[in-house]
Amino acid sequence: MDFIVQGTHLIAQGIKKSFATKTVLRGVDLEAERGEFIAIVGKSGCGKSTLLRLLAGLDTPDTGMVWIDGNALQGQNKVARVMFQDARLLPWKKVLYNVGLGVKDDWKPRAREALEHVGLLDRENEWPAVLSGGERQRVALARALITRPPLLLLDEPLGALDALTRIEMQQLLENLWLEHGFTALLITHDVDEAVALADRVILIEEGQIALDVPITLSRPRHRGSAEFAALKGRILNRVMGVNDDRQPSLRVLQSVV
Amino acid sequence: MLKNFKTWFSDYAVVWLLPIVILFGWQFLVQFEVIPRRMLPMPTEVLETAWKLLQSGELFKHITVSAQRALTGLLIGGGIAFIVGLVNGMFSPSEKLIDSTLQMVRTVPNLALTPLVILWFGIGDTARIFLISLGVFFPIYLNTFHGVRYVDKGLIEMGRTYGLSRWGLFTQIILPGALPSILVGLRYSLGIMWLTLIVAETIAATAGIGFMTQSAREFMQIDVMFFAVILYAMLGKLADATAKTLERRLLAWHPNYQKA
Repeated sequence: MDFIVQGTHLIAQGIKKSFATKTVLRGVDLEAERGEFIAIVGKSGCGKSTLLRLLAGLDTPDTGMVWIDGNALQGQNKVARVMFQDARLLPWKKVLYNVGLGVKDDWKPRAREALEHVGLLDRENEWPAVLSGGERQRVALARALITRPPLLLLDEPLGALDALTRIEMQQLLENLWLEHGFTALLITHDVDEAVALADRVILIEEGQIALDVPITLSRPRHRGSAEFAALKGRILNRVMGVNDDRQPSLRVLQSVV
Repeated sequence: MLKNFKTWFSDYAVVWLLPIVILFGWQFLVQFEVIPRRMLPMPTEVLETAWKLLQSGELFKHITVSAQRALTGLLIGGGIAFIVGLVNGMFSPSEKLIDSTLQMVRTVPNLALTPLVILWFGIGDTARIFLISLGVFFPIYLNTFHGVRYVDKGLIEMGRTYGLSRWGLFTQIILPGALPSILVGLRYSLGIMWLTLIVAETIAATAGIGFMTQSAREFMQIDVMFFAVILYAMLGKLADATAKTLERRLLAWHPNYQKA
């Protein structure tokens, strides 16, 4: 995988979606540049997962359009690969066969290559049941990247992992993103993760975009740095609904952003 | 050495202890006429009879006929059940149309239909195979349907986003996902298969283990009757072991079948 994949240019325009009596999204506009990494944060039930499903073409919006490289999205999003919170590996296929799922020609060497990228080549003949949670997600990542998708949609894929494994996975994800150049949308409830990985952090509140913060920290990012902590604090406060003015330190932060 | 013997004894040999004691007790009681011989044959007699039947080739003939009936019934009833179960599991209009009718028919024990079936098909093999097919149908149908219905929806969704065709979804996700349940249905069916066979073969058959028992009763050959019972037990065990092996091979991925 030594060539750069051209990332997708993605536009979501006036997206609205209701389920039965509950309105989940009330008009979301979002644009992702080619190769941009966007993190979407928000409290649970804010509609962020619904947005991701709409972008994947797993659901259709009530109103509004999704444009993929200038083409209106109809049905399933073929350029996108999705990673779910649970790895969703097929338990009856060995690791290698899981990675090669849906790939037709010459899939074995490609699956091995993808496994090597996530550092699990030695587990190719294992059943998924014997893998740890982190390993399962790494296999799922290999499966997502084997076709070199221009768009990767990540629905809290690291949410169920322990803290150390999660940081490891974040680094792996960042490296692969830098290497491949795909456009990435990451849903997360972890602001730390969002700031560590994304070019932009978007906050969704009550079905609308409430905050859109570019993260200009240089990579690799150091979680210990003051800027990092300041940004994280600012977003976290906003998520939790703390009023900015009452936080003296936040004025400093605003100058950072 | 002694310790090895001890573990060997407690792990394996102890299982056979009670059957052996019973067998010896039985032999003793009949030999000394505590129990009259026309009620119970001696184990040695049963063994002798088995040997005779085996040598004359009669045993092989009867077993072949019985096994053929059983397997034909299983293949027809189980095959239809499998297909209907799959279709009903995947397409809800078909389920709406067929399922509740099947659930009504299911409550009728298949053997209760014996008089009707004889009326319809006569006393030939058709009647017997029909009864077996009917008996094995429901466990396989229900478990196939249930298995398909409860395949993890997340996996199906994942398969779709990863570009699997409808056929790919079926062969790579739905069928393997439903397999554990289907195999449970199969094992359950095998039990019903033997039960139905035993009853169906006592009705005017001219060959088969059931026939062998019936004609032995007429001539008061109690040793043959006993041997037939043992034969049924052995065949039942064989079928169950086959199903178990099938499970171990097909479900090797399942955590329950993995060696620790």
